[in-house]
Amino acid sequence: MRLLVIEDDNTLRETLAAQLSEAGFAVEQAADGKEGLYFALEYPIDLAIIDLGLPQMSGLEIIRELRKQGKSFPILILTARDRWEDKVGGLDAGADDYVVKPFQFEEVIARVNALVRRSGGWASSEMIAGPVSLDLSRQEVKVNDVAIELTSFEYKIIEYLMVRAGQVISKTELTERLYDQDFERDSNVIEVFVGRLRKKLDPDNSIKPIETLRGRGYRFGLERKQST
Amino acid sequence: MSSLSARLLVSVSVLLLFFFGVTIVVLDSAFRHAGEQARQDILDGQLMSLLAAAEPGEQGVVEMPPDMPEPRFSNIGSGLYAEIRGAQGVMVWRSRSALGLEIPAGVTPQGGDQFFAEEFLADGTPLLTYSIAVNWEFPDGELRPFVFKVAESLDSFNAQLANFRRQLFGWFAAVALIMLLSISILMGRLLRPLRQVEAEIKDIEDGSRATLSDSYPTELQGVARNMNLLVSNERARSDRYRVTLDNLAHSLKTPLAAIRALLAERSKPGFEERANEQIDRMDEIVRYQLRKPAASGAESPVRTRVNIAAELKKLVAGLQKVHHAKAPAIELTVDPQASMRGDSGDFLELAGNLVDNACKWCVARVRVTVAVTDKASGGMRLTVADDGPGIPADAAEALLQRGTRLDESTPGHGIGLAIVKDIAHSYGGELTIAQSDLGGAEITVTIP
Repeated sequence: MRLLVIEDDNTLRETLAAQLSEAGFAVEQAADGKEGLYFALEYPIDLAIIDLGLPQMSGLEIIRELRKQGKSFPILILTARDRWEDKVGGLDAGADDYVVKPFQFEEVIARVNALVRRSGGWASSEMIAGPVSLDLSRQEVKVNDVAIELTSFEYKIIEYLMVRAGQVISKTELTERLYDQDFERDSNVIEVFVGRLRKKLDPDNSIKPIETLRGRGYRFGLERKQST
Repeated sequence: MSSLSARLLVSVSVLLLFFFGVTIVVLDSAFRHAGEQARQDILDGQLMSLLAAAEPGEQGVVEMPPDMPEPRFSNIGSGLYAEIRGAQGVMVWRSRSALGLEIPAGVTPQGGDQFFAEEFLADGTPLLTYSIAVNWEFPDGELRPFVFKVAESLDSFNAQLANFRRQLFGWFAAVALIMLLSISILMGRLLRPLRQVEAEIKDIEDGSRATLSDSYPTELQGVARNMNLLVSNERARSDRYRVTLDNLAHSLKTPLAAIRALLAERSKPGFEERANEQIDRMDEIVRYQLRKPAASGAESPVRTRVNIAAELKKLVAGLQKVHHAKAPAIELTVDPQASMRGDSGDFLELAGNLVDNACKWCVARVRVTVAVTDKASGGMRLTVADDGPGIPADAAEALLQRGTRLDESTPGHGIGLAIVKDIAHSYGGELTIAQSDLGGAEITVTIP
């Protein structure tokens, strides 16, 4: 999951980025509005966290521009202005949720996870499909209520596929969204990881959670369980 | 051109120039015409007397008496000249006054003809001439043609004209000057109250005066009254800001001190939690104090009508995004007659806090209703109901007290209601908490 954080306060941005990385996200950072808009338009982004008071270009302008250009990824607003006028203004411009400063990082990460789930079409707070369940905030995958031990990269793959359960995800998309910028981008590595993931989730090859569609990519194929 | 008096002076000058110009041209031409007519009459008389004095003499020429009835014919260079020419322009007689001068022959009239002409002497002196061609009957019974011509120098007439013009211009210039002068003095007097306003406003800025005086002419009294209203509002507002800022600064000191104290024992368990508690408290203080001055739209002299339906629609759309996971059904009914005059930010603050709280506490349903308080005067009654756990009566009282003693308030939630109450009060309205028929809380804000 690739996140973009646009925030002009260095301490806040870097700490937030570090916390989000720890929570399993690949994070891009931008310190001003123009740079932020550029990243948001040019990079493969799954979610943007945008401060409203930015130099060069305000957060509201960025959001309007992104929506105008047809970018539909979720946007979380960070704002010091917590008058309803400002919040409603941001939501009306096209943002999906807001967090008012000073926030706690857990709060931001919870909101991000909720938006990620929502963007994948998950209405409930738990993501359950067949015997597989995934908890975004704990980064935990269970099969038949047994927690599965996964490396962080394996988790990122299953998370990305499961959030978009039912959609076909190409190897290129996975490489783009999951690697941090400086990693070597080799799509063969993905195949290796998916192979290992299958073995861990489904050692006796009975539930087949990840389908391979030749030449197109992968799909998490189990039926979602929609519960509240 | 920014000065009113300069504008008026320039316009009046242009008008004066135009009217006086036209008057001068008309007067001048009337004077000249009258003068010319008089000259012609005189010349006509002279010519007639010349004709009367002439006698047919011998050798076929007319003869003139040595002494003319008009003495100016006899004085050399008098400015009045006469001559008589025979056939083919042969000079028959010249007056003594024309001695040494060559009066141009000009155009000779034919038999019986007569006309005036303007001609010039050799030295350039302009002349008005009057010629008549006559056939004189001599004693031998023969008719001989003669041209009688009188000429008068126009020098004196021109001098008169010039003098007339000089006087005309002089008088008009004087009148124009006096008019402009009196207008600028008048303007000065008329504009004095405006200068007074300016000076008094400057005094208000300096602090040496509290309000504008009430000694203004009727036309300016409205301006002065509004100015005073603005000044007093501004003063009230800045007082409020000062108090708020003061409260804010002082109430932040305590949690700051607490955090510093906590830092001393940061290795002890629970440090993080306790530090966060203090930060929450500071946040709450800032939120509460910052909203108070914002809720001043009620006192603003310029109050606009809030578009209640549009603002609520935006708010509900936003909140449905935020509470996406819970997806409460928000039922919105707005009476189009309901109105609120003030700041739309204040209205959103009222509605935002109430509807957001309802969305947080509800199980599945939220109902937002806006009705009129009074059929005649309009007003607005905003009711937000939910199907959540509701608020017990004693807790409601406590919730409304929140924020009144900020230093003692416990961090957490409920500050939204205190803010709503403050805003409602600033608009002369009130807030009530009741049980909703949906099962949860029903909070009503009434703004008259």
